Amino acid sequence: MRRRRWPVADPNTTPYVGRAMKRIEDPRLIRGEGTYTDDLRLPGMVHAAILRSPHAHARIRKIDTTAAKAIPGVVAVLTGADVNASCGLVPCAAAIPDLKAPKHTVLAGDRVYFVGHAVAVAVASDPYIARDAIEAIDVDYDPLPVVTNAEDAVKIGSPLTHPDLGSNVAYTHNVSGGGNIDEAFRKADRIVKHRLYHQRLTPMPIEPRGVVASYHTGEGTLTLWTATQIPHLIRTLLPGMIGVPENKMRIVAPEVGGGFGAKLNVYPEEALIAHLAMRLHTPVKWIESRRDNAAATIHGRDQVGEYEVAVKNDGTILGLKSKTIADLGSYLQLLTPAVPTLTGLVLTGCYTIPAVKMEIVGVYTNKMATDAYRGAGRPEATYLIERLMDVVAQELKIDRLDLRLKHFPAPGDFPFPTSCGLVYDSGNYAAALTKAKQLANWDQLLKDRAAARAAGKLSGIGVSTYVEICAMGPSKAMPAGGWEWGCVRMEISAKVTVITGVSPHGQGQETTFAQIVADRVGVPIEDVVILHGDTSVAHYGRDTYGSRGTAVGGTAIVMCIDKMIAKAKTLAAHLFETTSDHVVFENGRFTSPGVTNRVITWPELAGEFYVAKNLPPGLEPGLEASSFFEPQNFTFPFGTHICAVDLDRDTGHVKITKYVAVDDCGPQINPLIVEGQVQGGIAHSIGQVLFEQTIYNEDGQLVTGEFMDYAIPRAHDIPDYILGSTVTPSPINPLGVKGVGEAGTIGATPAIANAVMDALEPLGITHMNLPMTPEKVWQAIKTKT
Amino acid sequence: MKLTLSSTVPADPSRVFAALTDPEVLRRTIPGCETLTATGPDAYEATLKIGVAGLKGTYTGKAAITDQRPPERLTLSFEGKGGPGFVRGSAAITLTADGDATRVDCAADVHVGGLIAAIGSRLVDAAARKLADDFFRQIGSALP
Amino acid sequence: MFPAHFDYVRPATVEEAVKLLAKHGDDAKLLTGGHSLIPAMKLRLARPQVVVDIGRIANLSYIRETGGAIAIGAMTTHADIEASKTLRDKSPLLAETASHIGDAQVRNKGTIGGSLVHADPAADYPASILALDAEIDVVGPRGKRTIKAVDFFVDLLQSAVAADEIVTEIRVPATAKTVAYVKTEQKASGFALAGAAVVIGPGGVRVGITGVAATAYRAAGVEKALAGQTSLTPDLIARASAQAAAGVDALGDIHASPEFRAHLAQVNTRRAIEKALTRA
Repeated sequence: MRRRRWPVADPNTTPYVGRAMKRIEDPRLIRGEGTYTDDLRLPGMVHAAILRSPHAHARIRKIDTTAAKAIPGVVAVLTGADVNASCGLVPCAAAIPDLKAPKHTVLAGDRVYFVGHAVAVAVASDPYIARDAIEAIDVDYDPLPVVTNAEDAVKIGSPLTHPDLGSNVAYTHNVSGGGNIDEAFRKADRIVKHRLYHQRLTPMPIEPRGVVASYHTGEGTLTLWTATQIPHLIRTLLPGMIGVPENKMRIVAPEVGGGFGAKLNVYPEEALIAHLAMRLHTPVKWIESRRDNAAATIHGRDQVGEYEVAVKNDGTILGLKSKTIADLGSYLQLLTPAVPTLTGLVLTGCYTIPAVKMEIVGVYTNKMATDAYRGAGRPEATYLIERLMDVVAQELKIDRLDLRLKHFPAPGDFPFPTSCGLVYDSGNYAAALTKAKQLANWDQLLKDRAAARAAGKLSGIGVSTYVEICAMGPSKAMPAGGWEWGCVRMEISAKVTVITGVSPHGQGQETTFAQIVADRVGVPIEDVVILHGDTSVAHYGRDTYGSRGTAVGGTAIVMCIDKMIAKAKTLAAHLFETTSDHVVFENGRFTSPGVTNRVITWPELAGEFYVAKNLPPGLEPGLEASSFFEPQNFTFPFGTHICAVDLDRDTGHVKITKYVAVDDCGPQINPLIVEGQVQGGIAHSIGQVLFEQTIYNEDGQLVTGEFMDYAIPRAHDIPDYILGSTVTPSPINPLGVKGVGEAGTIGATPAIANAVMDALEPLGITHMNLPMTPEKVWQAIKTKT
Repeated sequence: MKLTLSSTVPADPSRVFAALTDPEVLRRTIPGCETLTATGPDAYEATLKIGVAGLKGTYTGKAAITDQRPPERLTLSFEGKGGPGFVRGSAAITLTADGDATRVDCAADVHVGGLIAAIGSRLVDAAARKLADDFFRQIGSALP
Repeated sequence: MFPAHFDYVRPATVEEAVKLLAKHGDDAKLLTGGHSLIPAMKLRLARPQVVVDIGRIANLSYIRETGGAIAIGAMTTHADIEASKTLRDKSPLLAETASHIGDAQVRNKGTIGGSLVHADPAADYPASILALDAEIDVVGPRGKRTIKAVDFFVDLLQSAVAADEIVTEIRVPATAKTVAYVKTEQKASGFALAGAAVVIGPGGVRVGITGVAATAYRAAGVEKALAGQTSLTPDLIARASAQAAAGVDALGDIHASPEFRAHLAQVNTRRAIEKALTRA
C-alpha cells in the first residue's frame, strides 16, 4: 500500500489557493496553547455538577436536597421546581406538520424520560464539592414501563414514552415525487425487497460539552462561553429562554474540540448555567464528563427501514418505495425530527429513478434524543440506496457498476432535477467512478478476489457512488436563514482582518479563508487574520454545519473583498486623477496604464483611507466591507469509494486491504485540508460499519457509556487510504466549491458494508445489520458452513 | 438481567429455610451487610457495602420475603440505591432435599441502573454470581 | 470526573508502605501506574480513604537474570518489559504480551505488579504468567512469601495478594523461543476478549487463557492432549486447542457471547501454538 506524502507548499509563494498548506491553527493546538471552555478561569467562578437520572422512565416522588445543601462549600442545590420557570423550553427549530412535541424543560419536572435526564444541579466552590453535593441528593423514583425499540414503540399496547402525548409517534412524513409510483410497481418485472438498519451512534467528540456563564448585573449583560458549533443560533434562541435580550448577550465558542453535529444544538445546560450565573451573581462553570457526554449529548442515526425497488429484467429501475422508522429518543433537540426527513431528500442517490415514495415515522423512545450527526440523514440515504443497488445487481445477476452507470445522469443533464424534489447543481459521476477504478487497479482487484476465493478465502470488494447535500443552504429550505455573513477590513497598517459568521471547529477555515483573502487582496498570508466564534466580534452568522463553511461563508468573504477593492479603486482613481474604470488592480497593486506610471500599494492606500485628508467628495473614510451571501441552491458533491476486505473465517475479523476514495467537492482551496476531512470521515465509517454502536439494554440503561464499552476507531484500525479527486465546479457560488466535511462518512459506510457483504456472498449470506462485528460475521459464516 | 444459580447447603431444607428468613442470620451472611433491621413481618431495611475487590459501593434499600411455602420455596424482592446506581429485582428461591443437604436453586431477575449499568457491563453479571455464591456459602457455615 | 475526598501518602520504602497498609486496612489502596485505580476513583466506583503511592519506592523497577530465571521488579512498566533485551533473549513471552497492552501511554505508566494484583479477568499478563509458571513475591506484615502463578488469580478482580501485602518481584523461567501470545481485542477497551499464551518446551506445552472466564486459567485439557507428543501435527494441535475452554464458565457481555469467547479461546490457542512452533 502506498502512502501519499503531501509536499507542503512554501508559505511565501502565491497563489495560495489550491495549495496544500499546513493549517495556521495547528501550532497552538499541538502545543496545548489553545483556549477551550474548560481553560477559562474567571474571578469568583463557581462550579456546577448535574445529577442525572439512573432510570429510563420514572415518576419522581420526592427530591431531598437537605444533605447536599449542608456540605461546606455548596452554594446552591436546585431542582426543576426551582429553575424551570426561569429557563424556558429547550427549542426545536424543525417545522414538521402535525408534529407532537413534549415540553422540554431544562431539568426534569415530575418525570424522567431517559437515563441521563438532568434532575438537579449543585453549585459549589470547586468541582469536587459539586460532585459530592449531587451524590448527597436523595431522589425517590417510582420506575415506570420503558420502551427502547422504535419498532416496538409503534405497536399497540407499547409503553408510552410520553403518556400525555397519547402515542409514541411524533410524526409521519411522506415524500413522493416523480412519476406514478403504483404504475412503476405495476410495470416492474420484479420487486426487490430489503430491510436495512442504521444503528444508533454516539458522536464522542474528544472535548465534551462545557459552558461558562458570566452575568454583569449592573449592565444586564450576559457572556456565555460554550463548546458549540453555533454561537449565533444560540444568541438567536437563548434570549427567548432566559429573558436576556439578544443585544445584551454575547456568545463565544472558544476552541471547540470536535463537533460532528453533536454541538449543533441548544442544550438545556446552556440556559441552565446562564440562569445560575444570573441567579447567583457570580460566574458559573459546567464541564460535561465523558459519561454524561455519552448519555446526554445527542446521538445519531437509529433508523430502520423496509425498501422495495421496482425493476425491469434489464436492470432499469422504475421506482423506489420505503418505509422508515426513525428513533428520535425521548425529546426533540434542535433538529431532531428534521434529520430523518433529510434522508428522504437524497433517497435516489446519484441515479435517475423516475418515481419514489417514502414514509418516515418519527418515534419517541426512552433514550437520548437523536439529532444531526456527521452527515445527518444523508449517510442513511446513501447507505440504503447503495446497498439496494448491490442487492438489485445481485438478484438480477448484472454487474453492479453497469447498473450504476446505467442510471447516472450524464454531465449534460445538469442542473439535474430529481424525483425527490431537488435540483443537483453539477456533476460527472462516471468520471469519478472511472478515476476510482484506475486508482484501485480495478481489474487486478477482481483477479485478486478470484484468486483468493479459489484458495478458499472470503474476499470482497465494495463500491459506493454517492452524492450528498452540502453548502446549507438556501434560506427557503432552512429553518432560520441559510445565508452567511462576512466582513473584511483593511487596517491602517495594511493588515487584513476578516470576520466570518461561520464557526469553524476543526474544519480549518482560519487557513482556507486566509488563502482566499491573501490571493484576492494581494497580501502575504501572514497579514491576514480570520476572526470567528464570538458574537461580539462576528455580529451575524449562521455558523458551521452541513458542510457550509467555505461554500457559503467563504462566498460572503469573496463578496466583501469585491466591495472593498471597488472602494479602493475609487480612491486610487482619485489619486491617479482618473476614473475607477481606468484603474487596474492586480496582486495588491493599483495601476492605471496609459494614465500614469505610478503604482499604489495597499500600505499607501490604507493610510490614505484612515488618515482621510485626501478623499474624494462622497467617499467615506475607512476600508471595510461586509456582506450577506444568500445561496440559490445547495451544492451536491459526489464521488466513488472502493473498499476491498478479507474476512477471517475463524474470528470473523474484517481486514480492509485496500481503500480508494475519489471525491469531487469542486475546486479545492487546500487539498491537505480536504484530504484530512475525507480521512476523518472514512474513519467514522469504519467505526460505524465494523464496531461502533450505542446500546441501551431492555431496561433503557445505556451500556456503552464510556470508551471502555463504546468502540471508536483508533489509529491501528485505519488502513492507508488511496485518495483522489475530480473537479466539477458548482455554479452556485463564485468559488465553485461544494463542501467536504461530511463526504467521507457518507461515501464510505456503504462501500465498506458492500465489501463485507460481497465477501459473504459466495456463502449465500445476503443480509447483516450494522455494525458487522466479528461475532456477527462469525455467526453468519457458521450458519452457512 | 436473569441469573440462575445453584448451591448446596449442608443442612436439611427446614433449617436452611429458617436461616433464610432469620434477620440475624441474614445480617451475618449477606455479603457486605452493615445493618439489617426488620421493619415489619418479613420486611427489612438494610445497608450493604458490596462490589468486587476495591470497587465497592454502599447501598441502602429494602427487602421483603413473599410467597413463602416452608420449607420449599420463597421469593425475595429487593430494591436498593447508592452512589453507583440502583439495584432492584426479585429472586425465586427453591429448596430441595439432597441427602443430608439442601440444594438451593435461585432464579433471579435483577435490574441495575446508573453507573454500574453504564460501565460495568463486563463485570456486573460475574460480580452478581460471585456475591450470590458467597452468600450461600456463608449460609452454609452460619447455620446453628 | 472528580474523585471523592482521599488522603495521599507516599512511602519511600516497602517496609513503610506495609506499615501504612497495616494501619489503614481496607481503607487504603496502593497506587502504582494508576491505570485501573484512577479511572475507578474518578467514577467514584473506588473510594479509598488513603491512597498509598508506591510509585517512587526505589529499586522496584528492574529486569535481571537470577540463575535460570528472570526477575522483574513489581514496579517495572509494561513499556520496559516490552523493550527488555534480557526478556526478549531469555524469556520472550512476557515482552510479547506487554506489547499487546493498551496503548503507548498506558504501557509507559502501567506496571506489571499493579496489573497482576488488579486481576482484571481480561488483562493480558495473566495468560502469560500462567503459561510461564511464574512466581510472585509479596511482602506483608507477616514477612515475605512466594505465590505460584496457578495460585495467584483467585477470582474476579481478586488475586491471592492480601490487602496488607505488596507485590515486590515476579520471576519467570528462561524459555525457548517457542512461545507466543495471540489475542482478540475488545474493540473499545483493547482488553482481551480471549487471549492465549503458549510456552512450548522440553517439559511439554503450557497454555494460559485470559479474557474468557472470571479469572485467567491454565487450559488443562489442551496441555493434557499435547502431553508426551513428539510431533505436533496441525491436526493434533487443532484437536487439542478445541479443549481451550472446556469446562469453563465463559463470560458474556455486549462485546462477545460466552459461545464466541470460548470459540476465540480455541482459535487463539491453536494460532498461538502454531506461531510458537514457527519460532523454533
